[in-house]
Amino acid sequence: MKKNDLKRMGKSFTKYILIIGALLILLDFTFHRHEYFSFAEIYGFPAFFGFVSFVFIVMLGKWLRKFLMRKEDYYDQ
Amino acid sequence: MISNFIPGLIMIITSFLLPTIPQYFRHPAMLLSVGLSALSLFNGYGTFLEWDILGLNLILYQSDSLTLPFAIIFHIAAILVIIFSWHSKNLMEHMATLAYAGSAIGALHAGDFFSLFIWWEATALTSVFIVFAGNTNAAKDAAMRYLIIQVSSGVLLLIGACLMLYQTGNYNLAVLDLKTNFGIFIFIAFGIKAAFPLLNGWLQDSYPESSVTGTVALSAFTTKLAIYALARTFPGTDSLIWIGAIMTAFPVFFAVIENDLRRVLSFSLNNQLGFMVVGIGIGTELSLNGTVAHAFVHIIYKALLFMSMGAVLYRAGTTKASELGGLYKYMPFTTIFCIIGAMSISAFPLFSGFVAKSLIMSSLGGMGMVLIYFILFFASAGVLEHSGIKIPYFAFFAHERKNKVKEAPINMLIAMGIAAFLCIAIGVFPKYLYQILPYTVDYQPYTLDHVISQLQLLVFAIIAFLFLVKFKLYPSEIRSTVLNSDWFYRKMLPGIGKPLFKKIGILTESLYKNLGLSFKQVLSKSYKFSNLSYIKVTTPSFAGTILISILFIMLVIVLV
Repeated sequence: MKKNDLKRMGKSFTKYILIIGALLILLDFTFHRHEYFSFAEIYGFPAFFGFVSFVFIVMLGKWLRKFLMRKEDYYDQ
Repeated sequence: MISNFIPGLIMIITSFLLPTIPQYFRHPAMLLSVGLSALSLFNGYGTFLEWDILGLNLILYQSDSLTLPFAIIFHIAAILVIIFSWHSKNLMEHMATLAYAGSAIGALHAGDFFSLFIWWEATALTSVFIVFAGNTNAAKDAAMRYLIIQVSSGVLLLIGACLMLYQTGNYNLAVLDLKTNFGIFIFIAFGIKAAFPLLNGWLQDSYPESSVTGTVALSAFTTKLAIYALARTFPGTDSLIWIGAIMTAFPVFFAVIENDLRRVLSFSLNNQLGFMVVGIGIGTELSLNGTVAHAFVHIIYKALLFMSMGAVLYRAGTTKASELGGLYKYMPFTTIFCIIGAMSISAFPLFSGFVAKSLIMSSLGGMGMVLIYFILFFASAGVLEHSGIKIPYFAFFAHERKNKVKEAPINMLIAMGIAAFLCIAIGVFPKYLYQILPYTVDYQPYTLDHVISQLQLLVFAIIAFLFLVKFKLYPSEIRSTVLNSDWFYRKMLPGIGKPLFKKIGILTESLYKNLGLSFKQVLSKSYKFSNLSYIKVTTPSFAGTILISILFIMLVIVLV
């Protein structure tokens, strides 16, 4: 196997995910998506919510490392 | 005759007989005992066994529409664990696992709080040996902490049951509220096992320390037994909605930075319990169905994820993200099974998580609970982050691997294969799952609105991940310990307690010395002994001091 297998897989995975993402947004324009709350019916709302939530979770988690992260043998000391 | 036998009891009896059974027949015997116990699933609903003892009428075996789905999934989980551990020769772990699963099944069929207490403690005492079987110093320490907390939960349950009996004369399992003192005791007892916020430390502490197969067993029973107990006694308790919402959101951040992938899964387990707790808090037929359905599918996909990480631990020797990656080449089947588990827990359409979580989300939406709805929607993105992406990505992809490893043993692959099949089958044919739920509800999870909405959330969360990795914003794996609520009793309390007890020790020591001397003086004055060498003044040891202090406190309590 080639060394850059993972990179190649990553690239094609990214390509397909972006295509699916674009299709999902386009689909949103073709019908009225019923939601429990009217503001969630805005075009692409779940997509926006998913993207922002994910970035928020990762960034806040990363920031929390300052307070929560200790050495691996912390409890053995 | 077998119809009146408490379900699960046959498994406990078999577990004690295991040492007498030759190695090759142990696993078949274990499977047989689960099969015999599973015959009880066809008994229908009703009360089948009562026992009058000490003036109490204990209901040892009853079954209804809430018991049945849990009983079915507990039996399935037991079978999966046994197949997954087929290669193992660790007798103690096999005994503990079978007795633990049997106790959990027995607990489901208890009809009163005293019987429930007995099984509650039985699950604690049997499962602690599974943690012990991790066979490292860390596992042994974690097992002791685990035991203390689990037994404490049982003691609180017993106090609650006694108070209930004393105040109301009743002790049967019934719907309780938090206006009574016994209700609060029982609520906290259940809350400990259900890993409520700040009571959750034991879960992430002990599960990842267990053995390759042990964690799979642990992940299935204890917490879901607590969910069952909460659903039976506290449906519609408003505070559970918020407790559950916090449980879904908080572990997500811890899971992002945790390095040990089995600990990541333990945080994820906690987050999943949150969804179920919210469902209990809402308390409608739809939401309770959602809780039961979620517990059912969760046991399967969580076991699948823990099995895949168990296989990785078995072959690669570690589940630390910082030391893994690239295993997809060497463990292709495990990789596929893990991804199926990851897609199920992330609630992709056509996977089991989707058809279960939808029930809870719909009941929230139907009630107009906008804030909780979006906390759970947010937490769904979190589930995708830690269990959907982080687990498979760091274990199987991330970077190329230098040393070769073998694919998981065939028994592990079979167990994972069955679980993966169930994840997809339930996702594609949800009506079979809905049929066994406690209430008859006509519900259709696959509407275009719902599918598109969920897919948008998940796909764009994946795009966010790719974006973060591309711009090197995704946190790298670092060998570390992430502080959790167990810090309070592992570091803070000893930090305060040790110096405090030391000071008390020194104080009491000097007190005893002085008392002893004056006693000696008084004696010598009164009786004019010329030689008092036989009266030796001894100072008590540290432990002795504590013992005396406890006895003194007890004396004060009794006198008051």
